[in-house]
Amino acid sequence: MNNITQHIIIIGGGPAGLEAASSLGAAGYKVTVLEKEEQTGGKLRLWYKLFPDFRPSAEVQEYLANGQKMNSPEIITKAEVISITPEIDYQKVILADGQIFTADVVLIATGFQVFNAEKKEEYGYKIYDNVITSVDLEQQLKSGDAVKTVAGEIPQRIAFIHCVGSRDKKVGNIHCSRVCCITGVKQAIEVKEHLPKAEIFNFYMDMRMFGQNFEELYIEAQQKWGITFIRGRVSEIAENIDGTLQLKAEDTLSGRPMKMNFDLVVLLVGMVPAVGTDAIGKSAGLAFTAGNFLASNDTHFNQNETHTPGIFVTGTCREPLSVAETLTDARAATVRIISWLRDKELKSNN
Amino acid sequence: MGKLYDRLNQDIRFIEGLNGCMNCGVCTAICPAAEFYHYDPRVICDTVQSKDEKLIEALLRSETIWYCGECMSCKTRCPRNNTPGFIIMALRKLSQELGYFTDSEKGRQQFAIKRAIGENILRSGYCVNPDIVSPQMHPEQGPVWDWISRNTPEIMEKMGSNYKQEGVGGMRTIAPEVLAELNQIFEVTGCKTMFETIEKHSKHKADELGIEISDEGIGNEYFMTVFTDNNGTHNS
Ligand SMILES: Cc1cc2nc3c(=O)[nH]c(=O)nc-3n(C[C@H](O)[C@H](O)[C@H](O)COP(=O)(O)OP(=O)(O)OC[C@H]3O[C@@H](n4cnc5c(N)ncnc54)[C@H](O)[C@@H]3O)c2cc1C
Ligand code: SF4
Ligand code: SF4
Ligand code: SF4
Repeated sequence: MNNITQHIIIIGGGPAGLEAASSLGAAGYKVTVLEKEEQTGGKLRLWYKLFPDFRPSAEVQEYLANGQKMNSPEIITKAEVISITPEIDYQKVILADGQIFTADVVLIATGFQVFNAEKKEEYGYKIYDNVITSVDLEQQLKSGDAVKTVAGEIPQRIAFIHCVGSRDKKVGNIHCSRVCCITGVKQAIEVKEHLPKAEIFNFYMDMRMFGQNFEELYIEAQQKWGITFIRGRVSEIAENIDGTLQLKAEDTLSGRPMKMNFDLVVLLVGMVPAVGTDAIGKSAGLAFTAGNFLASNDTHFNQNETHTPGIFVTGTCREPLSVAETLTDARAATVRIISWLRDKELKSNN
Repeated sequence: MGKLYDRLNQDIRFIEGLNGCMNCGVCTAICPAAEFYHYDPRVICDTVQSKDEKLIEALLRSETIWYCGECMSCKTRCPRNNTPGFIIMALRKLSQELGYFTDSEKGRQQFAIKRAIGENILRSGYCVNPDIVSPQMHPEQGPVWDWISRNTPEIMEKMGSNYKQEGVGGMRTIAPEVLAELNQIFEVTGCKTMFETIEKHSKHKADELGIEISDEGIGNEYFMTVFTDNNGTHNS
């Protein structure tokens, strides 16, 4: 294995990029991770405890760091990739600062970006103080302080709004972000743990509990924690004179439009592709999914290879995934990359 | 006659208005009519997309489709880009064509609208103007309306309108050639045929109920009946 000279560039040092870097490193390849931020870890740095088992996000970051220790790939931070130029026999990767890297294979792992909730104006994010996002709540939980309203009071009634920025033609995102339902269940339980007296309501369209232990957590939320789930999408939120929030939805199971007051509303924001991924994809001649994620060349057999030879994709830059799925996907990408490189080598030796 | 669902599908508003409803309830939550009436635009979308002919027929004969105020709030919010307000328009048109509208109290008011607004516009060029809105028929205007209707010319002058005069400005007399043009528009767009259809079915209903009905205008028993009837169940 020591005579391997082939070089792989991974764009993005989130869970997907780091996991692929360790696996490819373990297989003996030369790997360079280009990460635009000062630190690697991606969104894991923002989360406190992870669904479905409340494992501290820090533990997964530790696991990824250990992987790096053993197989030490080259990691370059503050390196923002803006485009890729596929050449006949190699790939040219161009950074925002003008630096150019070359490699045999490029693995795009640029991840996602949280939907900008301000675009959903009718929910009043950044207009009404007590409307926050799931990302804001994660920060509050991480800080260890009690969950409070802007006025510093303990909220008595809290609403979680599902599908914010997902499954919504009005904002141009028809895809389901997949992780927000379970995030809503997880966060509802966490808040209830902090504030046992609070009444918590989740407004959903479908509870998409696809993963291992997701449905179980949903049941626990209802049975053990007394969280109420109302099937109806919220149409708008308005602020009352006392700073509380009035929310309008239809309870579609009883067929009644309703207005309810809340002290705090949490928007379960979905995933959209990271800024810049679009330009990178276009420069490399890649196709896109309806949700503008990077498309693979086959939905069943080959989710990590693209239509451009030598360019691979993994993680949430290709579709919304949980951390566990992201890590699995990264390892699957590794296998594909290795066989592609071996094929290439065989061909050049013949 | 063809299937009701197919006939709805010939209406451009229906084609535009329904693109797969996911029953999320956003339209109902924003709908002002749903707040006051026993009315749920989500359920209407779901009923028509079921393609169930019996249910669609029941809808066409129901009070429900007449509650919508066509405010189009639903259009602004539907995450599937549906427009329940458009679907209602298509349902109403079909209900008018088939005469099913005479089966419901709110539907029968089509006759009152045709006789009032429909005839007003062809006669005067205005759907509504102060001369047409009588205080007796419109108590919702409040007591001030009685005073306004007794002093209309003076008040209109004070408001700077060109009341019943030739030339330009609000409240002016609409010129005969403009009225002729309006009539033609109603002719070629099929509105007149629609008016005739409403008349035909309403007369049939009036006869069936044994209520006096005239050939035009609002001075007849059937008009007053459909205009004032309220069985009190619309908000329950
Ligand atoms: C609110 C919320 C809560 C969540 N909670 C959980 C949870 O509890 N459990 C769970 O399993 N999953 C959770 N997820 C999902 C989880 O965050 C993702 O599965 C995971 O972050 C995906 O990893 P990734 O590497 O694909 O993307 P990311 O984490 O987004 O990492 C991408 C990396 O690429 C870098 N990058 C982007 N563009 C460039 C560029 N042009 N050049 C260089 N670098 C670039 C970014 O800076 C980043 O470091 C949650 C998601 C959301 C939205
Ligand atoms: S996971 Fe749930 S909240 Fe998120 S987009 Fe899908 S259905 Fe909506
Ligand atoms: S808002 Fe749209 S998708 Fe939702 S119930 Fe109404 S019509 Fe259906
Ligand atoms: S157009 Fe009709 S259905 Fe739509 S919101 Fe207005 S009243 Fe409701």
